[in-house]
Amino acid sequence: MGDWLEQNGALLGLALLDGIASAALIFMVAVGLNLVFGVLRVLNVAHGSLFAIGAYAAASIGLFAASAGLPGWASLLALLLAAMLVGLVLGPLIEQLLLRRVYGEEPVLQLLVTFALFMILEDAQKLVWGVQPVSFSVPVSLMGTVDVPFGTDVIPYNTYQVVLLPAVAVVTLVGLALFLRRTLTGRVILAVTTDREAATAMGIDARRVYLLTFTFGAMLAALGGALSTPTASLVPGIGASTIVLSFAVVATAGLGQIEGAALTALMIGIGRSVAVTFAPELEVVVPYIIMVAVLLVRPQGLFGVVETRRV
Amino acid sequence: MLELRSVMVDIAGAPVLRGVSMTLPPGGRVALIGRNGAGKTTTLRALMGLLALRGGRVLIGGEDATSVPAHHRPRLGIGYAPEERRLFGQFSVRQNLLLPVEVLGLPRTEIARRLEAVFTFLPELATLADRRAAGLSGGQGKMVALGRALMVGTRAVLLDEPFQGLAPALALRYAEALRGLHASFPDVALLVTESNPQLLTPLVDSTYVIERGEIAHDTALGAPA
Repeated sequence: MGDWLEQNGALLGLALLDGIASAALIFMVAVGLNLVFGVLRVLNVAHGSLFAIGAYAAASIGLFAASAGLPGWASLLALLLAAMLVGLVLGPLIEQLLLRRVYGEEPVLQLLVTFALFMILEDAQKLVWGVQPVSFSVPVSLMGTVDVPFGTDVIPYNTYQVVLLPAVAVVTLVGLALFLRRTLTGRVILAVTTDREAATAMGIDARRVYLLTFTFGAMLAALGGALSTPTASLVPGIGASTIVLSFAVVATAGLGQIEGAALTALMIGIGRSVAVTFAPELEVVVPYIIMVAVLLVRPQGLFGVVETRRV
Repeated sequence: MLELRSVMVDIAGAPVLRGVSMTLPPGGRVALIGRNGAGKTTTLRALMGLLALRGGRVLIGGEDATSVPAHHRPRLGIGYAPEERRLFGQFSVRQNLLLPVEVLGLPRTEIARRLEAVFTFLPELATLADRRAAGLSGGQGKMVALGRALMVGTRAVLLDEPFQGLAPALALRYAEALRGLHASFPDVALLVTESNPQLLTPLVDSTYVIERGEIAHDTALGAPA
């Protein structure tokens, strides 16, 4: 073991850093998916498309900003702008035109509807951005690298992925928890999540809460996508792989668990990147091995609570 | 204050209310008595707009409120304590009490005044204020649900089977509170449901008996129709 660590220490460190960076992105998507499911009770398969469109929009806006001669830091604003734009436009559109019609319907029907939406958005995305890889990495080069000490090794890693991404994820986690518990709007969202009818009888307009929550969730997915843009080139299919990973995170953590989703995203992110480094043939299955192992022992998820009967 | 006119409600295709008519006069105290499944809960949910009517009308304060959305009805001064309490477990008792009035956007001073009135009326809530609702006993929860209904219910409160599952001592305390309601909140009309007619008769001015979704008796205290 000691020998192995000595030989592979730097590699392991690198895998951990990769894992943390990807966990931050997975978390952003999974937490939105979780929030939307908690409030609307609709599992949105198209959540991954919002990630993908957020990513492409960020690349377009970023490239435009660069060609307009805007300074480097504007590229970071471009990512944020893209996320807000995608969330604010597509969120209300999808909720009002589509989801509103299937609330309270059979889960199978809801899944089919959001799956159809996923297919439509996937093609729309190819129509707009084509199938050639798109890349925009200004923010990564802008922020340079940082030396991360790991045991006896020092690993240079880019600051964007190892500092900015986890920082945004932590701010999202803490901000969301504070927002839900400390503000009236947050409590209203929690009330609708807990018991829609009782919340309505308290004067809460559940439909408005649905619209607000979905738009916010869409923005989080798009932000995840926008933040991923500088770290990888964008190709068709990123939406699908993202949604599948975030389903794994949400199922492992337990539906409705925000803090749990953060920890699980770390487990799955790191599990996957360690696999990529040491057993690449296992990369694809590792998240699901973690998920299945957890669900066999705790069917309600690591942090989930068994739902109490309502009637 | 509240009136149902020939209200018909279907749930999952089956008729549950078949032409229910009843009146809750301003400041009046009315009991709705019926067995399990007779339609008591459905009647209150219909009053709160939580169910679609197949026929009939709901009047609030003399005006047709049939098409007023459910979430606007608390704004009209109607408080509702559903069966099974339905508190928000992760909130404190105080947050549960405040939620409906904060949603209404009432001024701070008015919110403080109402909270004070509820604490004076139900002093046990003041001691429980910072406890999480999930940790309350059944009886404590019922008290909180009553307090929460009174926070918005400036004109009427609807209490759905409040005595259901209460230990005898708590049931006595709850009955005592209901008896004092009229003295503390003279403008608030009370509509309370129960399966046992004996329990409520001393607390109300009039009684409706519901059977299989129809009003079987419409009586002044105790006298058969």
